[in-house]
Amino acid sequence: MSQPVAEPKVAVNINEDYCSRCSICASLCPYDAITQDHDNNIMVLDIEKCQVCGICYSACPAKAIDTIYYSTDSVMKYLEKVRPQYKSDSLVIMCKGSAPDFSEVGKLFGIKDFIPLAVPCVGRISEEVLLGVLVAGVKKINVLACDEDYCRFHRGSPLTGRRVIALNRMLEQLGYGPEAITLKRNSLKVTVDKDLCIACGTCVAYCPYDAPKLESVGGISFDLDACRGCGLCVALCPAFALDLENWERERISDLIPQLLAEMKPPKILVFRCQWADYPPLNGDMSPSIGTIELPCAGRVEAVHVLEALLSGADGVMVVACSEDDCKQEKVSARAEHVVARIKEKLDQIGLGDKIDFAPVSPRYPGQVEEKVREFRQSLEGAKKGTRKGAAE
Amino acid sequence: MIVTTLKPLDEILESISPYRKILIAGCDGCTQPPRGIREVKTLKQLLELAGQLKGKKFEFKVTSVVKQCDSVLTTSAIKPYVEDVEAVLSLACGAGPQTIAKFFPDLPAIPAQNSHFIGIDDRQEGQMFDSCSACGDCILALTGGICPVTRCSKGLLNGACGGASNGKCELDPERDCGWELIYERLKRLGRLDLIKKFTPAKDYSAKGWRVTP
Repeated sequence: MSQPVAEPKVAVNINEDYCSRCSICASLCPYDAITQDHDNNIMVLDIEKCQVCGICYSACPAKAIDTIYYSTDSVMKYLEKVRPQYKSDSLVIMCKGSAPDFSEVGKLFGIKDFIPLAVPCVGRISEEVLLGVLVAGVKKINVLACDEDYCRFHRGSPLTGRRVIALNRMLEQLGYGPEAITLKRNSLKVTVDKDLCIACGTCVAYCPYDAPKLESVGGISFDLDACRGCGLCVALCPAFALDLENWERERISDLIPQLLAEMKPPKILVFRCQWADYPPLNGDMSPSIGTIELPCAGRVEAVHVLEALLSGADGVMVVACSEDDCKQEKVSARAEHVVARIKEKLDQIGLGDKIDFAPVSPRYPGQVEEKVREFRQSLEGAKKGTRKGAAE
Repeated sequence: MIVTTLKPLDEILESISPYRKILIAGCDGCTQPPRGIREVKTLKQLLELAGQLKGKKFEFKVTSVVKQCDSVLTTSAIKPYVEDVEAVLSLACGAGPQTIAKFFPDLPAIPAQNSHFIGIDDRQEGQMFDSCSACGDCILALTGGICPVTRCSKGLLNGACGGASNGKCELDPERDCGWELIYERLKRLGRLDLIKKFTPAKDYSAKGWRVTP
């Protein structure tokens, strides 16, 4: 089996040998990616429709579904490894999509020290993990999910809610008290600095959710129930009047030189939509890659890309979902446009090849690595080219 | 709105090359999106990058003016920087650098934008369209709200000329015939009588060179 495999490796698989054909996965999949093939009596996964939310994985009673991200084993091993770092018996499992800064997370639950576990959608965390950590000695579990109608995977947050209620009832019978697992919900929303707003209406024009309203008296206001926290308006606001909790402009700006200082050339700074690619829980990144996770590629702005190049990045890569996979309303297409405009300008000063836009999906693990490698090769090629040119 | 585009960066670099300390002044006014502090900062970074490549170190200050065509707003915004800079790079339409030139006679004012026209921002098409030539003598009431001075390539006040085919102008096959648009619109409004109304040659002195508000 040393031959290269033609089929690309995929992130989710159904193991027919274990599958009991109960169809729970099909009934829970938010994307209709799993169907029952009655003729052959098997469950069929259409990987192209799969968004790798992990809900089927966490719900399969027969453990017939494999996923390479955040599997029960890897989560348990990870917690065992990191636990000594934290002086706490409290665990916070949080959805990356809704979790603010760790210190803010602590405030939400009224705790200072905790073991953090940030995952793309808490819907992928099974009862087995929740009970497993209690068995492993964790005294208190806190779960931070997105508001139900805000869940990027539609069913992850509601499912978690039901799971927590059911588990708490069981745990209470075992003497754990009425709320062994605390569930809170949170969603990231835009923040407005009305003093900076110039009432130009750019946010109104580009928001895919009709959240901003501009009035001639009173200026800009946002319907926060409609806001999905994609950050597109933040990235486009001409007056820097908008920001996004946990992804504040300043915070990203501070991160850029910090990451670059730790990297080795050729330094490639990756701005990654947190839904486009799932990093391994504790995997090592190449020393030449630094990653900044964003709530959506729509949050990418020229200021940060240029800051990276000015701070010594050899290249900047924007990793986004493909247009069809975007968890927001066609925001990744808008991000591609934003990046193309930055590239146009960089082209004018001969730096156009230092930026790359890569649409990928976590359903094909390794895709990002491949794109980064290609980009690195092109950067190194360009560098050699200039050196050669200079020598001649 | 006023429709402008950023000048080629080479051209901007050439015009600022005699100076080292430069104020980049945005304008929050008419363009969409406004060339406000974001555009200012982005341009600053691009020029710094280009400077690094050419071994030239600029010292940029940045600000953005609510409306650069307003002398009061512009002078008060620029004044704090006057002592510290050798030139102002303006991101406003053509009125901006001229306001600076008029009220700061010793300060070079350099445009970073090309100003194209007063136009419509059509978001569905994702394009801006020239729509007003500021002729000073508006006849839109007679032409169904579509300006023949601007939209007709020939600027005919009485059309159509007869040169259009399939609704496109004979001078530019990509461009709609302005007078055909006017005809269709008047027909729709039930006001085709207006198209027969003769409009005499325009009094272009009405455009004026100064206006008292």
